[in-house]
Amino acid sequence: MSQPDSDRSPSESHRRILSALADGDATDSEAARAFQAWRDDAEARSTWHAYQVIGDVLRSDDLATEPAADESFLVALRARLAVEPVVLAPQPRVAEEPVALPIAANATTHSRGRWQNSLAMAAGFLAVIGGINFVRPFNHGAGATLASSAAPASAAVLASAAPANANGIVATSAQTQANADQLAPYLAAHRQSMMSGPFQMPGGDIRNVSLVQPAR
Amino acid sequence: MTMLNPDPDAALVQRVKQGDVRAFEMLVVKYQRRIERLIGRMVRDVDLVADIAQETFIRAYRALPQFRAESAFYTWLYRIAVNTAKKALVDMKRDPVMTYTSLQGSDDDDETYRGGMEPTDGETPEALLASKEIAATVNAAIAALSADLRQAITLREIEGLSYEEISDVMNCPIGTVRSRIFRAREAIAERLRPLLDTRDGNRW
Repeated sequence: MSQPDSDRSPSESHRRILSALADGDATDSEAARAFQAWRDDAEARSTWHAYQVIGDVLRSDDLATEPAADESFLVALRARLAVEPVVLAPQPRVAEEPVALPIAANATTHSRGRWQNSLAMAAGFLAVIGGINFVRPFNHGAGATLASSAAPASAAVLASAAPANANGIVATSAQTQANADQLAPYLAAHRQSMMSGPFQMPGGDIRNVSLVQPAR
Repeated sequence: MTMLNPDPDAALVQRVKQGDVRAFEMLVVKYQRRIERLIGRMVRDVDLVADIAQETFIRAYRALPQFRAESAFYTWLYRIAVNTAKKALVDMKRDPVMTYTSLQGSDDDDETYRGGMEPTDGETPEALLASKEIAATVNAAIAALSADLRQAITLREIEGLSYEEISDVMNCPIGTVRSRIFRAREAIAERLRPLLDTRDGNRW
């Protein structure tokens, strides 16, 4: 039976972890402890070196070198690493795995993008033309201009924008004319309602009354 | 070796990518001797081997953010070492100022050519003796291990099997494999430590 890690001395625990790390078998938390031990513990550093020398000599006697040479090599390299910029590689985003969309889905997305662009352009034209028509009544002084000219103008814009739309979602010129025809009665009824009811202007329907005072 | 097994250096590499330069030192300690031997087979000037090895590790450190783990880290590192050594050789041909050692080893047919085995500043007789002593100590310690421990560490270090594969071969749980390999390393390291302590008493 192996002894639990908590019952072992810190140095033995470090050595066990370093042995596992040397073979790529340390868990994340063990690896973190090993890195810390390498920084803080001289014994951990000499243990790591000893384990690596053992592995090298097992593979070939040629790899046995004087330990002072190993240490002087590291000291010299440390000096050079000290002036190097710290390595920081971009880490992969774990939460958002890239999903490979099927070609058809990609095509749909792209065509939808084109469709949205066309619609946005048409909406922009509408806003400009609408603004022009809002200003025009002041020039012509006709209150009904909004009813008579705004709808056809909008229809014209929609009709001109329609060819840009490959999906045929925006109305054709015939459909636009039908919409304008439906809009005219609505606006007439709206004007009629403004002439009566709670929105009636004062003085439109005045009755004469006389005040009779009783004799005292 | 194929990439059937996960890269044993993955945790260390990931740590370095997160900005921990000290974790890179652990990789250096692990591969420095193998890299130097590889370079030593390409470059005859033994005075240059350590310099090229240093350059190899610096280049690897700089390029680590681009390492995509499509191969094992050591395979990638070996490739950098080979390219760095080749570049050094090209530069040496272009640069007429060459070291005395490299000039000596420039002709295979020269009867004075020693195949790069002549001791230089980096390979004093004392250093060679220390290396041989280390190798002898490790081999003696391996021979003294129990059969289970010896088999476990041999399968890991020489055959390069993963813990899972060793557990299949030895017909035991992975936890037992891990424990056996650790105990084998501890037994060898116990004999080795007096030799690994540096002369001036410095520790890693």
